[in-house]
This record gives sequence, structure tokens and C-alpha cells, in this order.
Amino acid sequence: MYVITVCGMGFGTSLMLLMELQSIGKKHNIKVSGEALDMSSFKGKKADLIVASSEIAKTIDGSEIPVLSIKNILDKQEIEDKFLQFFNQNKKE
Amino acid sequence: MKFITDFLSTPAFIIGLVALLGLLALRKSGSDVVKGTIKTILGFLILQQGAGIIVNSLIPFSQLFENAFHLTGIIAEDNAIAAAVQTVLSKETSFILVFGFLINLLLARVTKMKYIFLTGHMMFSSAATYAIVLDLMGINGWTAIAIGSVIQGVTSVIFPALAQPFVRKVTGNDNVAFGFWGSSLIWMTGWLGGKLGNKSQSTEDLKISEKFDFLKEMSILMSIVMILVVGVTAIFADPQLLSQLSGGKSPILFIILTAATFVVGILVLLQGVRMFLAELIPAFKGISEKIVPGAIPALDVPIFYNFAPNATTIGFIMAMIGGVIATFVSSLTSVVVLPSVIGLFFMGAAAGVFGNAMGGRRGAIIAGLVLGFTYQMLVALAFPLVDLTKYGIAGLWFSSPDVIFVILLMKLAGLPFGK
Repeated sequence: MYVITVCGMGFGTSLMLLMELQSIGKKHNIKVSGEALDMSSFKGKKADLIVASSEIAKTIDGSEIPVLSIKNILDKQEIEDKFLQFFNQNKKE
Repeated sequence: MKFITDFLSTPAFIIGLVALLGLLALRKSGSDVVKGTIKTILGFLILQQGAGIIVNSLIPFSQLFENAFHLTGIIAEDNAIAAAVQTVLSKETSFILVFGFLINLLLARVTKMKYIFLTGHMMFSSAATYAIVLDLMGINGWTAIAIGSVIQGVTSVIFPALAQPFVRKVTGNDNVAFGFWGSSLIWMTGWLGGKLGNKSQSTEDLKISEKFDFLKEMSILMSIVMILVVGVTAIFADPQLLSQLSGGKSPILFIILTAATFVVGILVLLQGVRMFLAELIPAFKGISEKIVPGAIPALDVPIFYNFAPNATTIGFIMAMIGGVIATFVSSLTSVVVLPSVIGLFFMGAAAGVFGNAMGGRRGAIIAGLVLGFTYQMLVALAFPLVDLTKYGIAGLWFSSPDVIFVILLMKLAGLPFGK
């Protein structure tokens, strides 16, 4: 699946989040590709999922793409749980 | 042969080659290697174009500012400087970036400081900064690369190590470290906020209006500040010069266009940074995980924002106020430091978080205010140390406090040699 991660600049925490999601994907055999973007340039992009810290996520509204809001971006468990939950829900549909 | 030397003196190709080697070392698939290498090269070329836009937009502005206030006005912005000197110092910059990282790995492997500095845009800008400072001391080529790489490698573990006791107060553990060339100023102001504040009253108990959240989008805030800065300058400048620079167009349109062009330059530059870091950093991270067991990644400043979201807003607003005060006070020195939004925003927000962790609301307010003021005053006072006009750069100066401290040490070390 294609994931967009978003942060203020588009190369700091968003890149960290994307790398984390890719290693989670590897662990669970889910192919994760995507790109890290800043708040001004993610709009209009196509993706299966947007992932961002809760501070950034709350400024993303009206997006057609589902948004995963991560409270603590340093908490690998939180990222993994939320990501897998999303993945499993969408698999069933 | 000429092709090879030309190839290696083109910065985009050197960085492309680094990405290529990194991707190969990580045994990525053929398509990933090709894609990653091309994106890195494109990213680097975009970065240089962005720097060109910034430098050009500041030429008329600098003329206007000098005419209006009879002073030099500068904005603190590292990456624009780093990208602008690539035409002359590309070899030094790229090799300091790479060898500095390898020295960082070595130090993390053999010492107790397990930090791996992974904030790529800062590794790039500091590599370029050391190349510039050494070049101006008359040192270049491989000697400069050797000295610069050692400085880069050593500072990559020392600054995170100095910050770690304070990071622990915010995050509660040692899982991540602070990899940002402003960390010292942030923990110092946070510590001061702790001394003068009251930890029991946290910023996070406050209800803060979300009305101003749109300002967290860098391009918006920067545009507003730049229009104000150019506008105020234009009011005080000679109308004749203004109409000459605007080519007879309406001064209002000229002000908006000059400010917007500067912001566009920053956005283009950041897009380039984004493209080449997206390839380089995962490669660096992968290599470090293989070589250094128990490595602690030293990461960019926003990782701390979620620990106290309200404190980031308070810290940033206070830093802007402190920065504007410093703009006026700095006019007493040799240079006026204009509100440098990116630095004030990212460091101010973190100062708020650190101030709050150690001293609550009052701590966050004091930390942000002191950070904004001291940050810009540091730039003003250090400005005479490095003259960038040799590279055709006017209106810009270095913006990373940690790196500025290192420049000072480099200049002191050079004194006995008359450099």
C-alpha cells in the first residue's frame, strides 16, 4: 500500500514515520511504499493512507484518504497497533 | 579523465554516488537503486535552483534595506547558504558529510556515546559551513575534508550527549536523542525556564484557541513575515530607488512579489532537500543499525512537540516576540538580524516544550522568549566571524547555534596560526 507521511517540513519526523512504517510492513509481510511530505504539498496526492502526528493530523481535514493520527511518534508500539488495525479492517472490506 | 574530474566536481553527482553506494550496501532491488539514485540527483539540482531564487530575491531587498536604514540586514538560513556555495565547495561539503557520518559511526561504536546523528538537512548545512569557514582560513581540498569530517563526526555525538539529560526530562527515557544543531540553546533556555518557573502548572492544562493553527504552516507564516519586513523597509527607503528596483511597477506589487519569491525559493529548496534526504537518510539509518548495536538515533526537533502541544504554541509565539526585540537591539551591532522564521518556529516550539517540562507555564514562556532573543543576538554578534560576500551571498547568514559555537572555536583554534 502507498502511504503519505506528513510533518511540518516533510523530511524530519515524516521521514522517520515512513521508515518506521516500512519496517513494520516488512515484519508483517505488508508491502509499504510511500513518500514523506510537508503540510503544504500533500494535498491532491493519491495514497491509501495518510499518517501524521496528532498535532499535524488535526489540521488535515476534508481529506478523502483515511488519516492515522499518532499521539506519540516515538512510540513504535502505538504506530504498529494503529497501522495493523487499519490494515486488517481494510482487508475485510 | 576530464569527464571523471568534471563528474566528481558536480555536487549532484557526488551525492548521487553516495546514495548509489548506500542503496547497494543495503542490497536494495535494482529498480530501487536506480530510482533512489536519480531522485537524489534531481533533489540536489532542485536544491541548487532554490538557492538561486533565494539569493536573487535578496539582492534588491538588501539594496533597499541598506538604503533605508544604512545597515546590513540578514536572515539566518543555513540550507540556502550551503546550496549556494556548492558551485565552489561541493567536493569538500559532500565528503565532509560522508566521512563525518563514518566518524560518527566509529565514535558511537567505540565510546559510550551511542548517538547516530540522522537529521540530514543539518548534516548537509553544517558540512558546508565547515567547508566555508576552512576555505576562508585558506584551507581547502583534502586537508579541509579531513578537519571538517572530524569536527562533523565529533559534534554529531557530543551535542546529543550534552542534551540527553534534558531530553530524558521530556521523553522519560533514552530511546531517542536530540539531533539538531540548536539543541544546546534549547536545553539551556529550557533549564533557565525551569529555574524561574513552576513545574506544577503545566501548559497542557490550558485551553488554547486553534484560531492561529494556520500559522503552523511554514509557507503562510513566512509569507506574512516577509511581506511585513519588505514592506516596512520599502516605506523607509528612497522612493526613487524603490521605483528603479520595481521597474516602474506598483511598489505594493513589488513588495508582495519580492517577499513571495523569497518564500518560493525556500519552498523549492526544501523540496530538493526532501527528495535527496528521502533516499540518503534511510540508507544512513540502515548502515548504522548494522554497524552500531544499541545505537540511539539522534533525530530532528519536532519529535518533542507531541509531549506538550500547547507549549509549542506558547514557545513559538514567545520566540517570535524575543526575535523581534532582538531585531531592534541588533541594530546597535554591525548588522540587523531580521526575524528568521524557520529557526524561531522550530527552536521556539522546542524551547516551550523543554521549558514546560522543567518549569511549567512560566518556564515555557521564559524559555521561548529567551531563546528567540539570544538566538538572533548570537547571529548578530557572530556575524563578523565569517564574511560570505566572497561567494556572492548577501542578506543571509548561518542559523544553527551549535554550529555557530563550533565556528567560534574554529576561529580561536586558528588564531595561533594567524588564520
